[in-house]
Amino acid sequence: MHISEGFLPGPWWWIWFAISIPVIFFGMYRMNKLISERRELLPLLAVAGAFIFVLSSLKLPSVTGSCSHPTGTGMAAILFGPAITAVLGTIVLLYQALFLAHGGFTTLGANVASMGIIGPVVAYVIYKAGMKANINFYVVVFLATAFADWATYVVTSIQLALAFPAEAGGAMASFQLFAGIFAMTQVPLAIMEGALTALVFKYIVQVKSDALVELKVITSETAEKLRGVVA
Amino acid sequence: MTKMLDDYALMSPLRYTNNWLKIGLVLFGILMGVSSGSPAVPFLIALCMGTATVVISKMPLKQYLKILSGPASFVILSVIVIAFFFGGGQELFGFNVLSYHLGVNVEGLEMAFLVFSRTLGGMTCLFFLALTTPMVELFAVLKKSKLPDSFIEISMMMYRYIFVFLEVALSIKYAQTVRLGYKDLRTSLNSLAMLASTLFLRSWEQGEKIFISMNARCYDGKMAFYEETRPLRAPETILALFYVVVVVFVWYITNGTGWMR
Repeated sequence: MHISEGFLPGPWWWIWFAISIPVIFFGMYRMNKLISERRELLPLLAVAGAFIFVLSSLKLPSVTGSCSHPTGTGMAAILFGPAITAVLGTIVLLYQALFLAHGGFTTLGANVASMGIIGPVVAYVIYKAGMKANINFYVVVFLATAFADWATYVVTSIQLALAFPAEAGGAMASFQLFAGIFAMTQVPLAIMEGALTALVFKYIVQVKSDALVELKVITSETAEKLRGVVA
Repeated sequence: MTKMLDDYALMSPLRYTNNWLKIGLVLFGILMGVSSGSPAVPFLIALCMGTATVVISKMPLKQYLKILSGPASFVILSVIVIAFFFGGGQELFGFNVLSYHLGVNVEGLEMAFLVFSRTLGGMTCLFFLALTTPMVELFAVLKKSKLPDSFIEISMMMYRYIFVFLEVALSIKYAQTVRLGYKDLRTSLNSLAMLASTLFLRSWEQGEKIFISMNARCYDGKMAFYEETRPLRAPETILALFYVVVVVFVWYITNGTGWMR
């Protein structure tokens, strides 16, 4: 759910920049530290970013007829954590604006806040909580990605509602409206992306679970268990 | 997905003009458009930028309109919401849906029109940059900024690998499609998951390989690129200045009497 260029007026677009920029800088700081410790991570992060971009440019099979794209950020948050995802997400959003005409420069701050920061944080929190509660890994992945998508879309609706409050009822009323209208496409889309990401993780576990163990997404015991269940 | 904006930028005749001039013009247009209180300024910007992209940069008109209509579904939906629920004043028309009254009034329509014009103006500016300046040129600009090296390195490598992976993804997708991998919702979900996981593992392996190959070539955390200097030429500078003056003038007469309003 990208907000198009020029859509947010006056103070709102720079307020969202003011919110996003500190988080991006924190992410850059974390990333710099990680890279200075383990230099082999730099190319890995770069290809991860490219992967998110390509994933987000694939069309999801749609239910309602309009074509829809996965955000990919939920998956990135599970793989790399929210701080790094914020940085990668910012680059991906910039490229999407320049290559695919999704989003824009002035609305970059708002889009980063919804897709690069809040969505991934929600995904990460759910994923951590779910793993702690010992729920099935794939169910956790499904929930984390689906809720990340919903969080993204709720935040986008809030952003639009704050910028354009309704005459009767103010921002709250227009939030319900924007949320209600975008729910038509976003609710099924989030479920699709959750299912897709869970399936992706299933294939990765089957083919090469060491990659996930190395990223500390799952422990080697869980990987063993998951493969055992599959086989 | 098969053709990205960057492909057009590489063929654009404006590719070799000064990067700072182009970026300056685009930022100027975007900021003027967003801060304008009347739809006239964004429409003027949209007209100028659109003409510049199609006429000077020789972008095929049909493709250009197709790209412009890309974000249309989002914009039109939101603009309709704004038209119905924003602002007061005299009601223009209305109807009842399930004992719920819906109406469009003057202020709402004006606001919707303004937002639409701003979006159009902003998008044409963005497309002007995207369709005339390849990313390779923008890296030179990015390098001059004070952003951390690792950030810039990652964006450059990401750019390179986006095309590698897009090609992989496309060929897998073709292969799956001819084997009826997308015949219904269930199979397409399964095929897409297979595609994405293969892509992830490919990129993972690729990442390890790049590190080894770059280390073997003495990589020290900084890729060096050859940067060409692109001098400002007189005609384009004059044209740009003329554009700036006209936009500022229109902004001045449509946004009231003074700067400090």
